[in-house]
Amino acid sequence: MRPLTLRRLLWTCGSLAVLLLASVVLALKLGAVPISVTDLLLDLGRIAIGRANELPTEYRLIVFDLRLPRILLGILVGAALSVAGASFQALLRNPLADPYVLGVSSGAALGSILALLIAPGFALVTPLGAFLGAIATIAGVYFLGRREGQLDSATLLLGGIISASFFSAIIMFLLTTLSGRDLRGMVFWLMGDLSTPVSAGTQWIFTVGLVAGIGAIYSTSADLNLLLTGEREAIHLGVDVTRVKLVVYVSASLLTALAVSASGAIGYVGLLVPHAVRLIFGSDYRLLIPASALCGAIAIVLADTLARTIVPPTELPVGAMTAMAGAPVFIYLLRRGLR
Amino acid sequence: MSFLILCDGAFPAQTSGAHTALPAGRELTDEAGRKIRIPQEVDRVVSLAPNLTEIVFALGDGDHLAGDTDYCDYPAEAMQKPHVGGPVNPNLEVVVSLMPDLVLATSMNRRETVNALAHIGLPVYYVSLPHSVEEMIASMEHLGSALGVEKSAALLAEDLRGRLADLDRRLAGAAPRRVLFVVWTDPLISVGRDTFIADALRRAGGRSVVDTKAEWPHVSLEEIVRLQPEVLVFASAHAGSTQQDIDTLRTRPGWRDLEAIRHGNIVVVSDAINRPAPRMVDAIERLARALHLEAFASRTAPFSGGGTGFSLWGSVSAGTKPHRLKPVPPSSADSNPVTSTPRIEEACACAR
Amino acid sequence: MSAPDTFAQTAGGREDRAHREQGVRLNVEQASYAYSPSEQSAPTFTLGATSFQAREREIVAILGPNASGKSTLLRLITGTIAPLSGRVELDGEETSRLDVRMRAQRIAVVHQESPIVYPALAGDFVLQGRFPYGRALRFANPEDIEIARNALAQVGAEHLSKRTIGELSGGEKQRVILARALAQQPRLILLDEPTLHLDIGAQVELLERLRQLAKENRYTVVVVTHELGLAAEFADQVVLLQHGRCLRVGPPATVYQKELLEQVFDAPLDVELGPAGRPRVNLRARRGEDIT
Repeated sequence: MRPLTLRRLLWTCGSLAVLLLASVVLALKLGAVPISVTDLLLDLGRIAIGRANELPTEYRLIVFDLRLPRILLGILVGAALSVAGASFQALLRNPLADPYVLGVSSGAALGSILALLIAPGFALVTPLGAFLGAIATIAGVYFLGRREGQLDSATLLLGGIISASFFSAIIMFLLTTLSGRDLRGMVFWLMGDLSTPVSAGTQWIFTVGLVAGIGAIYSTSADLNLLLTGEREAIHLGVDVTRVKLVVYVSASLLTALAVSASGAIGYVGLLVPHAVRLIFGSDYRLLIPASALCGAIAIVLADTLARTIVPPTELPVGAMTAMAGAPVFIYLLRRGLR
Repeated sequence: MSFLILCDGAFPAQTSGAHTALPAGRELTDEAGRKIRIPQEVDRVVSLAPNLTEIVFALGDGDHLAGDTDYCDYPAEAMQKPHVGGPVNPNLEVVVSLMPDLVLATSMNRRETVNALAHIGLPVYYVSLPHSVEEMIASMEHLGSALGVEKSAALLAEDLRGRLADLDRRLAGAAPRRVLFVVWTDPLISVGRDTFIADALRRAGGRSVVDTKAEWPHVSLEEIVRLQPEVLVFASAHAGSTQQDIDTLRTRPGWRDLEAIRHGNIVVVSDAINRPAPRMVDAIERLARALHLEAFASRTAPFSGGGTGFSLWGSVSAGTKPHRLKPVPPSSADSNPVTSTPRIEEACACAR
Repeated sequence: MSAPDTFAQTAGGREDRAHREQGVRLNVEQASYAYSPSEQSAPTFTLGATSFQAREREIVAILGPNASGKSTLLRLITGTIAPLSGRVELDGEETSRLDVRMRAQRIAVVHQESPIVYPALAGDFVLQGRFPYGRALRFANPEDIEIARNALAQVGAEHLSKRTIGELSGGEKQRVILARALAQQPRLILLDEPTLHLDIGAQVELLERLRQLAKENRYTVVVVTHELGLAAEFADQVVLLQHGRCLRVGPPATVYQKELLEQVFDAPLDVELGPAGRPRVNLRARRGEDIT
């Protein structure tokens, strides 16, 4: 028996954090305007000792006003989507669950567009609308996926796909009411994009929401381990299933909503990352949740760096990158599950 | 072009610093009503849309253009400028690295892009999408003053307005042709009444059969078959595939039921008509000649609305070989409308 | 509830157990239940008043054909549903009123095998039985690991601890699931059709093991089954259900009556008394051909 210990948990997360830092430095270095690592480290040092104003303006603008916020946003989005994916996988007992596949991302997108149309100009309207959309979708998909009181994997996925395309249709309809300018922004956003910097205030709200959401899910991680072996079993092993499900559904929807309102529908991260983490570190949620958060952050930071640099100077939406990597893995998992 | 060094190698950290410390600036309001502050002399401009690039060149300010987009293909010099990516997804890092005093944006760009550039402290001048040719000219004058080239802007505007007035006089007696402007064939997208293209059609003696409030309406082909426009107007595609497209349309159900298709009453105009920039007036003049040959010919050929004898010339963008959709005897003695030198060059010349 | 609390309650429970050495542990008294699709509509299934008692070390078989109310009675005993009338008590406490963790410390339930979504090591799986005793994140302490190891040993599955659940055979898997139930250190073990996916050898092995565990660890064991033969061989008491009614409660010898069983299971049966005083049931083909 090799049960998870606090030491192994901290050691694993520590190593992943170092990896994340390395990817952040790499992402800061790479881009349409190349920067040498030495300069970068020197300047990070300068900032660390509070002499940021000695930096040349354009340089500071590019690295610290354009790249860094984008990387930080990528970290938030990657962590949020991965943890949401891992949570949905436990709740629905389905390794194919992911906010994108389940239609939750589309629901959040529809929610935020509706919110924008109904109450434009109100600061937090997008995340709020996204949150309501995400909650409503997961409730609907859960309802669709139930057959004779049991969650049926195929029906669930079908429900998710149907919801996603239904919402996409409504989104398309709503988009026709937008002017050309807003339309372009929306379409780009729907593809999953990090190029739009968010204001410092929004970034703070996202950070707080992320920490709260992941924290709430993490507090139930031992319960999720048992939920995975079955709801009935979990009840008989002392899990307050109703409470755990409520906490995790709300938190995972919150995380999805934050990610979607910040960056649109970036797909497959919630599927790909927890799966990879499970292969490497095992499926104990006490390790899986923090490891997925860190790996998700690394994945998005690297994917976005690739999206920024693959065809310079044009920037691709990061959603295209993740879908390119994620869809084949999804099919692989599906085939493996069918066998 | 010394600024090009910014695009390769490590970022030259020492070349800048005083750059954004504006010694003496001026404040102005763009067309979105945003107040921006720019230096007295605008030295380095980055354009985020092809029509803005064209305007900058037409105003004779091309030398100050530090960068433009991948789609800026006119004039030829525009293609030599450093590109910042597409209008929808420009690379903000490249924009910043070009150290612009002023960034020009329009409705083709995303709001987010404009906000992002403004957020990091670059002055962005926003040009709204004009709803008429006159609005385009006025907006160009306004932009001229932002760039500090008010005089050439005024001259160019005067020239354009003069040409349009001339056109109005020539077309005074002619009944407007009922036209379908095809923005896109699959799905069929045309123009609404409040667009600059609809206005351009009116200026050229045409009237769009589509009359919607929506700017770029998806129209059902059935409705077009019912409306039976006299003439179909296409803007030439970049790859020159317009002729092929039209040939395909002739065989397709719905389209082949259109009188205009059957009789070959099709005009292909320069894609300049799609771009709210001075060159658009050239396209309007050509379209007017194609729609109302009789108004331009010295010996006026009688127009019979049925189709026999009604013939049209199409022209691709300025400078390329025109193609004829239906052979007709050249009837014009004074000038060949199609092969005339691009007017934009003249406009530029007189502006200087 | 905090951990010291839990400990105190458990210790108290042990004392309690010592006092009631010979007393009744599980007391089902006139318990009934009704399922309705909604509050207004008539119930679609009812379980009539059912009563029986079980002491420690006793094995009770709940016997009946499909849709006789076995699962409902099982859920009443586990406390996941509360009886409409009557009561279900474990050591004097109503099971449906216990909080989830407390219940899991006293009652272990072994279900028909359920699909395992992600691969888990058998050892880790058994450790899940320690969940109701743990704190927030429930990192296993050495005591938990020792208990889990013992539980595996008790079902003779120590060698399986490093294998993943997915690669185990039906019988091995059933033993690991039972080990998890033992790791809960319960007073009452409930098994729902435990022999469903097992061959006859594994069935006998499982039930012999249960009898031995009940004796050694003073468990009370309740087995829900429709296997007449096995119940007759291993149960101390049989609760016979049909159409949601409790027909008979008692030792197999008194419950197994030819006419009664034939009527309940709608099959021609032969019942004879074996040498140990336990009845034997044989299926007799309707047209006089002897299948056995």
